[in-house]
Amino acid sequence: MHKISNSVTKKDHDEKVSGSVKYVGDYPQIGMLHGKLIRSSYAHARILGVQTPELPEGYFLVDHRDIAGENIVHVVQDDSPAYADGEVHYRGEPIAMLVGPNEEETTRYARLTEVTYEVLPAILDVEESETVFFDYHYERGEMEQAFSDADQIFEEVFYTGYQEQVYLETQGMIAEYKEGHVTVRGSLQCPYYVHGAVAKVLGLTPDKVRIVQETTGGGFGGKEAFPSFLAAQTAVAAVKAQGKPVRVVFDRREDMEFTSKRHPSKSTYKVAVKDGKVTAMDIDVIFNAGAFTTLSPVVLQRGIIAAPGVYNVPNVNVRGRAVRTHTVPTGAYRGFGAPQTFFAVERMMDHIAKALDVDTLTFKRAHLVKQGDQTSTSGIYHYPVPLPAMIDDVLDRSGYLKKRKNYEKAGIERDRHGIGLSLWFHGAGFTGSGERDFIKAKVALQKTADGKVEILASNSDIGQGIKTTFAKIVASELSIPYEEIRISNPDTSRVPDSGPTVASRSLMIVGELLRRAAIHLRSEWREGEAQRVEEHFVEPEFMIPFRLDDFHGDAYPTYAWGVAAVEVKVDALTGVNEVVGCWSAFDVGTPIDLNVVVGQMEGGVLQGLGYASMEQMNYDKDGRIRNNSLSDYLIPTAMDVSHLDVQMHIEEYPYGPYGAKGAGELPLVGIPAAYVAAMEQAVSFPFSHIPLTAEETLVALSGQSAREAQKT
Amino acid sequence: MVNGYAPSGMREALDILSKTSAIPYAGGTDLMIQEVPADTNYLFLHRIRDLKCITVDAEYFICGACCTYTELLNSRHTPDLLKEAIARIAAPAIRNTATIGGNVANASPKADAALILMVTDTLVRIQSKNGVRIVPISDLYLGRGQIDLLPGELITEFWMPNNRAHLPHSYEKVGGRKALAISRVSFAGISDVSDGQITHFATAFGAVSDVIIRRPELDALLIGKSIEEAKVAKEEYLAKMDETLVPIQGRVSAAYRKAVCMNFLEDFLAKNGI
Repeated sequence: MHKISNSVTKKDHDEKVSGSVKYVGDYPQIGMLHGKLIRSSYAHARILGVQTPELPEGYFLVDHRDIAGENIVHVVQDDSPAYADGEVHYRGEPIAMLVGPNEEETTRYARLTEVTYEVLPAILDVEESETVFFDYHYERGEMEQAFSDADQIFEEVFYTGYQEQVYLETQGMIAEYKEGHVTVRGSLQCPYYVHGAVAKVLGLTPDKVRIVQETTGGGFGGKEAFPSFLAAQTAVAAVKAQGKPVRVVFDRREDMEFTSKRHPSKSTYKVAVKDGKVTAMDIDVIFNAGAFTTLSPVVLQRGIIAAPGVYNVPNVNVRGRAVRTHTVPTGAYRGFGAPQTFFAVERMMDHIAKALDVDTLTFKRAHLVKQGDQTSTSGIYHYPVPLPAMIDDVLDRSGYLKKRKNYEKAGIERDRHGIGLSLWFHGAGFTGSGERDFIKAKVALQKTADGKVEILASNSDIGQGIKTTFAKIVASELSIPYEEIRISNPDTSRVPDSGPTVASRSLMIVGELLRRAAIHLRSEWREGEAQRVEEHFVEPEFMIPFRLDDFHGDAYPTYAWGVAAVEVKVDALTGVNEVVGCWSAFDVGTPIDLNVVVGQMEGGVLQGLGYASMEQMNYDKDGRIRNNSLSDYLIPTAMDVSHLDVQMHIEEYPYGPYGAKGAGELPLVGIPAAYVAAMEQAVSFPFSHIPLTAEETLVALSGQSAREAQKT
Repeated sequence: MVNGYAPSGMREALDILSKTSAIPYAGGTDLMIQEVPADTNYLFLHRIRDLKCITVDAEYFICGACCTYTELLNSRHTPDLLKEAIARIAAPAIRNTATIGGNVANASPKADAALILMVTDTLVRIQSKNGVRIVPISDLYLGRGQIDLLPGELITEFWMPNNRAHLPHSYEKVGGRKALAISRVSFAGISDVSDGQITHFATAFGAVSDVIIRRPELDALLIGKSIEEAKVAKEEYLAKMDETLVPIQGRVSAAYRKAVCMNFLEDFLAKNGI
């Protein structure tokens, strides 16, 4: 392993361990106003009026009429208002904000504010949606021929549910407006996304807008697009507050019910098999986008590109749609569309193997992509695919082969055992040509006259350790002790736009820019002089340009790889299971800090297990999410997996720093498929959806279809 | 701002309770998360040593109402059945402060320690300024969150009969996860079978209805019978239990609760050779 992988004390270790670090909610109350959002009570309605109670001095209402710029929060497209104007499209959509000096009183006045509505019909079910926000399609090979030549054709539908990020710190923002300039400080992943959104809503030129990332207690994608909304709403309030800062911090219920979460999906797979091999996949993916487009186009792109899995299938036809419903807009969550389709394709391959009466792992191995093969979008896997070695490693550590054989006999005891395995990748960085065409990342290193070096980049440390890994890279190239490298939370008035903290890109793309900047500085180093060097993104030459109109080319420069075996023990009396162990292998290239990466991998695995099992969230017939508390929406505890065994494999990527690739999202993506494979073996029943509950498992044990039971 | 009294002795506590509407506060793990009017008064019980005893005499295992779960887990006197249930409550931080008295007084059908007190026919010692009364725990529950305590009364001790506390037993809990999980279904059973004769048989079901379900009159169908006779009575017993268990819909469906309860019951019968 490269020596840079050796772990160091994280940059934020002391302040977090001691509890001295300040989050948005920790700043003193003095002089601060509180904002409380007034939200729609209906999934779809026309607003007839908003009536506050009589407000004492210092309390005021903010709504769309207070917006000086455009009432649009820019994400990818421009369809989402900051404050609803005339019509609301989901339950909880912000209509106005009540602002005042006392938090309890502000909340009380917000509750007493009456909104009158004309209720309109709401569409909650994707099957009934009349609006397709995005409809993508790509095709490769000769589909018709492959299906007409097929020995057998298999068809199945797969479903996945919501998943809520449950970052420890809820969404929070502080905005202050003085002398024509606005400063917004908040819990966020992407300072420059917020910067653009706030400037547009306030109608200010970019130089009058300053965004500062405060220490952020977790994001997982939930603070990618959403903070742009809260920042815009709070900034509008700050303009009206005339110099006083306004703070909005969500309570947990508000956060769980009304912020973005993972897209529920329905994926239909139709697969042609000839001579025991998959020759064609015809795939139809539908994501529930919720009421506005937000990040759905890019989530859907990643989802459908991953839809054929890690398999070399010569003929592929994929259609993906993100449809509108009158529900909370869905958005980014670790994996970004890929967990949905990887769940589907891995289940599909297992089910086909079962139907063909062949060992599922042998079947999958016979289809694996390798270096030089075409990707689903007619790009190329330019670098080695280490899956075979990773599979061997997981088999070895988990005892999979022996267990799989032993557990194959249907159990009669109270404990039923099963083990399952899944294979997956995660495309590293933005999908397509986003880095080259939109982000155009830029970083800087600032050196003082006395030789102190500061990193200037807009990527935020949201717990994933980017301050630490960036500093390690720069320290390594400059031969300066790591402890002496300075890096602060990004402030748009000081740092260039190195892009958002998303898509497992920060380390691979921005880390490499910093490495090059450090080499640059080293070569021009002048003692006793202040210096500044900048570095800009350059697309690697090997890339086959990606075209979004027909999904053609390299969607990603390289891929991170994952293999996991999950073993379960199911209680036949209750349907409750215990995850006996999870053995996984991950290739993220060179880990820039082994502790950081292993921590990421373990956390992601646990999130994947939660997604597949206990994390249940749904809306009722009025479009209301009821699982909005931590006692109703359970996430796994450390007790829920007794044995979590992670091993790193290193396939260096020459264009990432020291060979590093994307890491953050990878571990979650394929875990649900392995978990459900284990459950299938344990209870001898085919499952095609997540989350898979104890209740459904018990029904399956009695032989009835789980989904049918759920419906009754 | 929290208002309250922190008496150092029982007499003082009961005196305060007789004169005010202060809410007894033991571990506080349920109370501290409740929204209450600003003028709410609490009677903090942590300084009263009498409420912390754990002991056994010839007839009973006795524990004070303010014993924490951790204290009960650490005591050699605590019966295994009670320890099994306590070990699966919440997580260590909660168990270090939550009390068995609070678990009972909260009157939740999901109370895990209370389920064990129910199945063992534990007696509850209740004290007020005017005296003491001792009642079977099953008489205490009136409904969800409702408990038969008069103003001024305080639960002080639990007396678990030794001839119930150490019988062969079965304890089951279905939670949403392995820790920090509120019961979705729970079951406890105890039985005394010697020389093929059933001398005692008791079952209790938690988290399925408004109160913990205990049906001694149905369990009595099996008591005094030989195993062979019990096998004959089994069908009637299961049918009557099936009738009496009418679960409510919650985080899991009523049908699921029912199925799991009956599975637990049949499993317990099977373990006893019935």
